[in-house]
Formats: sequence, C-alpha cells, structure tokens
Amino acid sequence: MAELFSNLALGFGVAFTPINLLLCLIGALVGTLVGVLPGIGTIATVAMLLPITFGLPPVGALIMLAGIYYGAQYGGSTTSILVNIPGEATSVVTTLDGFQMAKQGRAGPALAIAAIGSFFAGCVATVLIAVLGAPLTKLALAFGPAEYFSLMVLGLIFAVVLAKGSVLKAIAMIVFGLLLSMVGSDIETGASRMAFNIPELADGLGFATVAMGVFGFAEIIRNLDAGAEMDRDLVQQKITGLMPTKKDLKDSFPAILRGTALGSILGILPGGGAVIASFAAYTLEKKIAKDPSRFGRGAIEGVAAPESANNAAAQTSFIPLLTLGIPPNAVMALMVGAMTIHGIVPGPQVMQKQPELVWGMIASMWIGNLMLIIINLPLVGIWVRLLRVPYRLMFPSIVIFCAIGIYSINNAPVDVVLAGAFGLLGYWLIKHDFEPAPLLLGMVLGPLMEENLRRALLISRGDWTVFLTRPLSAVLMATAAFLLVLALLPSLRKKRDEVFVESET
Amino acid sequence: MSETPSRGPVKYIMPKWIRGPQDFVGGLALIAIALFALWASSDLQGMHGFSFGAGTAPRMFAVLLLGLGIAVMVVGLVADGEHITTYAWRGPLFVSLAILSFALTIRPLGLVISAFASFIISALGTPEMKWKETIIVGICLTIGCSLLFPYALGLPLQLFPRFLIQ
Repeated sequence: MAELFSNLALGFGVAFTPINLLLCLIGALVGTLVGVLPGIGTIATVAMLLPITFGLPPVGALIMLAGIYYGAQYGGSTTSILVNIPGEATSVVTTLDGFQMAKQGRAGPALAIAAIGSFFAGCVATVLIAVLGAPLTKLALAFGPAEYFSLMVLGLIFAVVLAKGSVLKAIAMIVFGLLLSMVGSDIETGASRMAFNIPELADGLGFATVAMGVFGFAEIIRNLDAGAEMDRDLVQQKITGLMPTKKDLKDSFPAILRGTALGSILGILPGGGAVIASFAAYTLEKKIAKDPSRFGRGAIEGVAAPESANNAAAQTSFIPLLTLGIPPNAVMALMVGAMTIHGIVPGPQVMQKQPELVWGMIASMWIGNLMLIIINLPLVGIWVRLLRVPYRLMFPSIVIFCAIGIYSINNAPVDVVLAGAFGLLGYWLIKHDFEPAPLLLGMVLGPLMEENLRRALLISRGDWTVFLTRPLSAVLMATAAFLLVLALLPSLRKKRDEVFVESET
Repeated sequence: MSETPSRGPVKYIMPKWIRGPQDFVGGLALIAIALFALWASSDLQGMHGFSFGAGTAPRMFAVLLLGLGIAVMVVGLVADGEHITTYAWRGPLFVSLAILSFALTIRPLGLVISAFASFIISALGTPEMKWKETIIVGICLTIGCSLLFPYALGLPLQLFPRFLIQ
C-alpha cells in the first residue's frame, strides 16, 4: 500500500511540472479538436497527431499522446450528442439518448454528464491501474513464450467475438493483418520477406501508415460516396444551462458507478474493450431501469453509463500494455509505436526500470481527464461552430493533414502512397462488409505472436502440445476456444447482433 | 481494385446462382491475396529442424487466409447475402490523385506548392466543389500548415521548391 502511494506521488511529481501540464493541456485540446471532426475516429486522430510528439522528451511525448487520446474520445462524444454523428465506435450508443437530449434543448446537461461520468470513471481507472500494475507485472514475469502466444490468441478471439457481423470475416481480417505484419525483415534471420526489394518496405509496413489509410482516407472516401453534404441534423438551438440539475445528478450517479465498474473490467481484456463496454453499459441500464421505454428518448442514464464505461475501459486498457507489453487495441498499438520511437520497449521491464515514465503517465491521465472537464464545457460553442464547416471544405483539409502527418513520420513519400493504397483497400473492405479494426489488431500483434510462437516451439523442441500442457497457457487457450464456440452458436449470435442493431437505428 | 468505375447496379453482372455476391467476391479477393502472399514468400526458407525459417510463418498465415477465403466464398454461394453496392469513382479517384501528387511533389517542390495543389485536387472529389472558396481555404490552410509543421512543431519539412533555394 505504501508502495502504491509513493508510486503515485512520484507520478504526480512528474506530471505536475509546468511543461508536462502544458503538454497535457495541448494534447487534450488538440485531441478534442480533431476528435470533433466527423469521420475521424480516435485511431486516426492519434495516428495523425503522432508526429507532433516526436520532438519531445519521452515522458512529455507520452503524456501528450495520452491527452490526445482522451481528448479524441471526448470529442467523439461531443459530436454524438450535438449532431448525432458518433466520432468513433465507442460513442455510438451515446447518440441514442444524447442526441435526443440535445433536441430537447438539454445538450448542456448531456455534455456535462458525459464529462463528469468520464472524469469519475477516469479517477477510478487511474487508481485501478496503480493498484493492479505491480501485481500484474509480477504475473507477467511468470509468462513464457507459450503463455504470451496463448494470451494473444485469446485477445484476437475477443476481438472477433466483439466485432459485429460475420465471425468468419472477422477472423479472415485478423489473419490478413497477421500476414501484413510479416512484410519486412524477419526478426531472427534478417531475411527480407515479401518486400519486393522496395527499400521502404524493408522495415515493414508502418502501423500508423496502415491505420491512417484504412481509418482516415477510407472513411473520407466513404463519406464522399454518400454525398459530401452529409446529413447533419445540427442542433440549432442555443445551448443554455450547462449544469445538470440535482435530479439529473441523482439519476445518473448510480449509472455512472455501474458503467465505471463494467468498463474497468472489460477494458483490461484485450481486443477492443472500450467499444463493447459502452454497449454493455447501455444494455445493462436499459435492463435494470424501472421504465425502459424512456431510453432512446433522452434518458440521462443512457448518456452517463456508456460514457463512463468507455472512458474507464479506455484507461484500463493501458494495463495490459504497461504490464505485459501487449497492446490490447489499435490505439494502444500506436502508443507502442510512439514508445518505440523514443526507445522504450513496453512491458514489465519499463515499470521497473523507468518508474517515473509509467507513473508520470498514469498521473497525467487523471490530470488529463480533469482538464477535459475544465476546458471542454466552456468550449462547446466553438466545437459546434467547427461542425458547421461544410464537408466539401473539411475533407480536403483532412487529406492534407493526414498526408503531411504520414510523410513526417519517416520523411518518406512512399509511406504516403502506401497510406493512399490502404485507403482504397479500406474503402473496398467497407464495401464488402469487412471490418478494418480486427485487421489492425492482427497487424499489431503479428510480430509479437510470431516471435513467441517460434520461441515456444524452439524451447519445446518442436512439440506443438506445449500450448496445452503448460497450465496457464492451457487455461488461456481453453477460454479462447470457449469464446469462439459461443460466438459461433446461433442463439447467442442473434442476441449479439441485437445489441449492435440497437445502435444503428 | 476499388477504382473500377461502375455506375449501374453490379448485381446484374452476377449469375443468379450466387446468392450472396458481396461475400462471394470478398472471399475471392481473400483467396487472391493469400495466393499472392504464398507466391511472394515462396523464395523464403522453410522449417529446419524445430526452428521456423523466415518463410514458415508467412506461409502458415497465407494458407490459413486461403482457407478462410474459400469459406467466405462458399458462404456467399450458399447463403442469401447482400448485393455488391456500387462504387463511386469520383471520391476515390481524386483523393488518390491528391495523395499521389503530394507524395510526388513534397520532395522536389516543397510543402507550400505540394499542399496547395493536393488540396485543390482532393477538393475536386465532390461535385459540390466551388472554385473560389476552395482556393481561399486552400491558401489559408497552406499558410497554416507552413507555420504549424516546420516552425511550431519543428519538423524538418522543406517549404519551397529546391531549385529556388539553391
């Protein structure tokens, strides 16, 4: 316990320096700014803003990135509430009741509750990371290559189960991602694989490049498809009265608590926890509500619960990254990319060798959440005005920003072309109902999986049963198999689809 | 691959016995990707003893993808599914052109020209484009980017054409 407090104290000591506070503020602001733009989700935002952290010291860069991440998430909920366009998957359910509240002229309380819920969830999750970090790091040391491999299989299966639509197609996307991650030099032999002697491919496909293509460019092209002037049911009423009433607070408090608990648990699991957390929280609220018919008509719990849940999950998803070195989702994978650029290899060693970095980042998460409350409520007016910029002018600007962003990562024009190609690929995937998120996750976990698979088999002298004979690994594999069977069972599939259908209406 | 400009509904091209064209074509494409990966990694070393060669994992995943592609295709054959939605050509074409032009001109011509040209090209991606406002916004954006990236963020971007500086 004492260790926990000394760790947190160390963290706050690092985070509370003026320069880091400033970086956190800028990150949160810029993150919100980009996150508010429709059609740019969290992944694209982080990928796009990655280059601006290159010149900073490692701690500062990570603090700023964390700020960008929360800002982008918060920006996503703002658009959900104000214009019924979810900035990203995690705030899809927020549109259901949030936009209804806005239509009734209660956009202010909806935004405030979203911010307060997120902040509360952020506080709890920060403590949770601090508490769980050290013991999980010890657990990580007991992990051999076989366990790591099994854990990643479990994570990928989770992603499949949580993805909407066909299980088969989701698995296919993961394998495609794994295959893409093989491009470049082989880690062990150094042989060039599927690089066709293109020097820029020797290091493999850049993760940010693919993310920007599949999520950024593809989304823009898709939006153009629908006609540039997207249906923007903008709330024209003036936003009056930001603060929620006493009744609002009383109604939403239990919902925030439940959302936080659910989100924290789901976030730790690898494979896109934040999305399912918000869906699960909304479904739970609707189930236990005395009068379920209020949902979809501006029930404040319907905003409070999912927003708390997605924020809690977004934050606890740092746990597997910091302790095991496994990025549980695409945003975390970008964080790994950023860390690698600064020469940090995430995993149990970082906790021990660079405690000021880890704890500084954890503390800054809390500060970042606090800042979001303070800066965003007064700035809502500006975000609304930003949303009035017509898409015909917005999308070329986004294209240019993305292009400059990708170019500046390596100063390589080829990267820009590749991102464009992946944009077209992403457009094709959307057209054929393939989800790009599992592809990205597969690409992220590919190198780690291959390395651990090779090592595990080398240690076991080519014996494939090693994954089932080591107890920890066997448990992980069994869980993965169980989940996969569940996902394939038709009765459950139906229910799962219902959860998602709800969000699309 | 997605640039094929096709305006009419694609479903007429598909024979009737394919019940889910969207999945059928999707599966075919996965098969093609898998075969391509198998071909591309065919020159790599395979297993030797217990240890993986450079080509083992790529081939393993390629075979897996091949199987999944066939499965998706079969699903498209036997189960009723979505038709292929039409592809737009204008958006993908101009956005790709803009990206390409940025990549080609950023080194020799510098950020100012490259960013402005790409802005105009990508703006053509929608029929609602208006020349006057696009040019004004393009100029503002170019100025903003020229200040933001090289100065505020300190990224090593060249602003003006190389031949002008020398």
